Amino acid sequence: MAAAAESDNGSEVSPTAAATRGSAVVASPVKAKAKARALELETSASAASASESSEAKVDDGNIQEAESSLREGLSLNYEEARALLGRLEYQRGNVEAALRVFDGIDLQAAIQRFQPSLSEKPPSKRSNKLRSDSSNSGSQHAASLVLEAIYLKSMSLHKLGKAMEAARQCRSVLDAVESIFQRGIPDVMVEQKLQETVSKSVELLPELWKQAGAYQEALVSYRRALLSQWNLDDDCCTRIQKRFAVFLLYGGVEASPPSLASQTEGSYVPKNNLEEAILLLMILLKKWYLGKTYWDPSVMEHLTFALSLCGQTSVLANHLEEVLPGIYPRTERWYSLALCNYVASHNEAALNLLRKLLNKNESPGDIMALLLAAKLCSSDCSLASEGVEYARRAATNAESSDGHLKSAALHYLGSCLAKKSRIASSDHQRSLLQAEALKSLNEAISLDRHNPDLIFDMGIEYAEQRNMHAALKCAKEFIDATGGSVSKGWRLLSMVLSAQQRYSEAEVVTDAALDETTKWEQGPLLRIRAKLKVAQSLPMEAVEAYRTLLALVQAQRKAYGTVKNVTEDDDKVSEFEVWQGLANMYASLSYWRDAEICLQKAKALKAYSATTLYAEGYMREAREQTQDALAAYFNAVSTELEHAPSKVSIGALLSKQGPKYLPVARSFLSDALRLEPTNRMAWFYLGKVHKHDGRLADAADCFQAASMLDESDPIESFRSL
Amino acid sequence: MTSDASPQPIQSTKAAVESLAAVLGGALPESVASADDPAATLLHDAGVASIVSGRLRGAGSGVGNDGLCRWLYDAFQSNLPELQLVVLRFVPALAGVYMSRAVSRKPLAGFEAVLLALYAHAVAQRGAGEPETVTLPNMANPSVYHEAKVPAKTKATELEVVVLSPALEPHGTIRATRRARIVGAVLELYHSRLALMPLSSKMDFCEFCVGWTGKHSKLDDKPRVAAAASEPNTAATEEKWKRVPLPWELFQPAMRIVAHCLLGPTYSDELKTQAARAAECLYWRAAETMDTRALLLSRSVVRLSQMAEEPIPEPSFSGGIENMAELEAMRADILSTKN
Repeated sequence: MAAAAESDNGSEVSPTAAATRGSAVVASPVKAKAKARALELETSASAASASESSEAKVDDGNIQEAESSLREGLSLNYEEARALLGRLEYQRGNVEAALRVFDGIDLQAAIQRFQPSLSEKPPSKRSNKLRSDSSNSGSQHAASLVLEAIYLKSMSLHKLGKAMEAARQCRSVLDAVESIFQRGIPDVMVEQKLQETVSKSVELLPELWKQAGAYQEALVSYRRALLSQWNLDDDCCTRIQKRFAVFLLYGGVEASPPSLASQTEGSYVPKNNLEEAILLLMILLKKWYLGKTYWDPSVMEHLTFALSLCGQTSVLANHLEEVLPGIYPRTERWYSLALCNYVASHNEAALNLLRKLLNKNESPGDIMALLLAAKLCSSDCSLASEGVEYARRAATNAESSDGHLKSAALHYLGSCLAKKSRIASSDHQRSLLQAEALKSLNEAISLDRHNPDLIFDMGIEYAEQRNMHAALKCAKEFIDATGGSVSKGWRLLSMVLSAQQRYSEAEVVTDAALDETTKWEQGPLLRIRAKLKVAQSLPMEAVEAYRTLLALVQAQRKAYGTVKNVTEDDDKVSEFEVWQGLANMYASLSYWRDAEICLQKAKALKAYSATTLYAEGYMREAREQTQDALAAYFNAVSTELEHAPSKVSIGALLSKQGPKYLPVARSFLSDALRLEPTNRMAWFYLGKVHKHDGRLADAADCFQAASMLDESDPIESFRSL
Repeated sequence: MTSDASPQPIQSTKAAVESLAAVLGGALPESVASADDPAATLLHDAGVASIVSGRLRGAGSGVGNDGLCRWLYDAFQSNLPELQLVVLRFVPALAGVYMSRAVSRKPLAGFEAVLLALYAHAVAQRGAGEPETVTLPNMANPSVYHEAKVPAKTKATELEVVVLSPALEPHGTIRATRRARIVGAVLELYHSRLALMPLSSKMDFCEFCVGWTGKHSKLDDKPRVAAAASEPNTAATEEKWKRVPLPWELFQPAMRIVAHCLLGPTYSDELKTQAARAAECLYWRAAETMDTRALLLSRSVVRLSQMAEEPIPEPSFSGGIENMAELEAMRADILSTKN
């Protein structure tokens, strides 16, 4: 074996001699001594040839060290000699040759020799430094030599692609170290070379297991590396922690949690891969903040991955904020923070960050930031104008890059324009904005036909503008594009149908939707069904539908407890809505007593609600208690400043009070129309006001509007979607 | 699933191989039938894999009386862990084809039966009504890996528990609005066994991911290393996988699997290339609707794919080569003269 190494080198040893020695290697241990001598001779020959040039530079310290080690161990034994030879081969890059030399080393035997000298002394004697130092250094040197040899053997195997065998060898290094130093590696007493071998092996082992496909072993060895006392330096420890975190995150192995003897009270014990990985990543970041290690951008990305998996972006935002300046360009940091804040629904914070980022002195053309800002603004009427600006910029900047991004920009432009049109101060401005909104939505669709969100928003916009035919088409397209998997698509379709007075078709759609929805999420659909029944004047069936809905809502309340479930509230119907709906229905049938009871129930759930007050007003009005009715309506308006139905009713009531109230009535009705341009009752009463005042042409216009809208009122506002 | 075809359940791997051979009409390679460990062969044999995935991708697959789906269902219900792994191996093709076709609302009772069986297993494994939660660590509390000074009297800071995957309700049928959740949970199950899955199965998944995003065209102008690699699957290139709605409940597990393919312990560059492509497609898909959560998640993976991995440190030979060699030469000299 060793002989082959020599011949690889093209050395001076004759082939016959090599053959005899080669066979001797596998012979009995009795012959080992003799063999060792032979080997040592070889070592001297090859080593000498390698170092001819610098022989003069030998320094005294080295010789003394060599001598003292020889005296301590009495002689360089077989293992040590092989270790030296193998190392030389490895250094020269002759991995296979090195391996053949290392193969002859019996680690167990070597350990047994080292063990007593290193670990026999009890800890009480440790204070006697002089003695331990002198007795240790020699055997440590020898131990270091052999352990390094096994480590190099493992590296050689690794380089030859034999990962499994390499891992076993590497593990034996660590086992040996553990049995030599039974109390962990002390800081001061270990020779540097030995420490280096230990650190390298600790770091190498899990990687070898991973390569060999032995993932459970890898996991165990990572924990062993981090939890045992190897006296690793910070950098080495950092690398291991990072690799372990990566392995936990992406390894695809279910790790059992670390079992702990050393659990102190209040300490955090990770229960699964993700928790352990997050813990390690946070520790790595903290180390960096404390200046104990170098900056590694991947740590932050891994943490981003882990925390956004579980939606904890506000925690991530804290970490991003802690990163010292000079690592991330500030615009990039603002963008990342804005993303984090947006996910955590801190919209205002997100928008402020984006405003800074999109300032003309920073990066006003950052397309992703522009898109995010535009999307953010499109959800709020008061921000719509600002959003329009961002979306326009995004659309211009996306021109060159990509169709889909441009489509997204136009999409948000359309949404922002539509939102802006809702608060437009004049009819003229409103219709301009609405037309523009539709135009950019259409343009967006022409760039990206398959984006369901876009199709949906388009449908809503058509419906808002009472173009029911186009809205219907969009609703159907949306259901096709999503395979009926999104509940709001079904709801849009049935509401559009209800606006076209096609109630039975709407019911068919609702039933189909109920089939595709689990019991727990049927609330909004059941509400629509009940309202459809009311619209068709089928009170008995409506009551039945409300009853089913009420049962569902109450079951949900019980399941979630009294604490309101904040997360999924959009799609849940509240009990309040049910009683309110029933009250409206009974009131429309003039069942005052029943209506009162339902209203009481509703009031008990929500004390100050414009809808309840409005319903109360409606009932008083129907029973001709005009003053009480007016009071209730005014209360409704003062609870909710923008409650259009109450304003319409106030206008209507006042217009009946005589000519001197007409201007006031008119202003209430106009105000209602500003909020809800498609409120047909408002148009109707406004027409009446005009008529009383003698403006017949205006009155005719209003009546015409009212009659046109009469055929396009949905059972629920489209804005509820 | 119709139960009149082959009534007896599968009870052994041998029976499974036989019934698979019957289903495939004798197309099963010889090597499988004669193998010592048929389950392992079924899991790793490339020939079987390409035949079965070819069938799953083929036109008209996944209907109520599809024999292969029936076999997958029976094999999974056998409760033999090694056979269940074989079924899981085909989850990418199964889920991939199913999601793409389900959008067009074709009847796919065969696929649905298998997926529901897998889902039921996931529900049972987790325990009904239990969400999968994560307790966020807090640096103020000490842990095995770090120390922290906890004020002696006050209890350590309260830890925040967050939901990683919401509770799974049992489902007897796949309703459209729950489809993504069910397939997502099946993908979570697949994810938990990823380390045992063969390379080709992961390749399949990445390919379908690209299809789901509907973004193939976007990356087409770039050099397509991965596309060339997947060429042998002719069926795949014939049927263009339809864009699929990707709500978070589907996006999240899909991204986790792609991240594993890209950053996990794989030594296949082919898989990494394909996974990088999938990650990029998912990122652009998230960007299209500015789905911020998905955007953050996929952006981190795309960025990580562009970072170089740190190599394992090489052994260092302190003191320089010559010096060491001299030292050794001296030692040997001393020794040889002594004897």
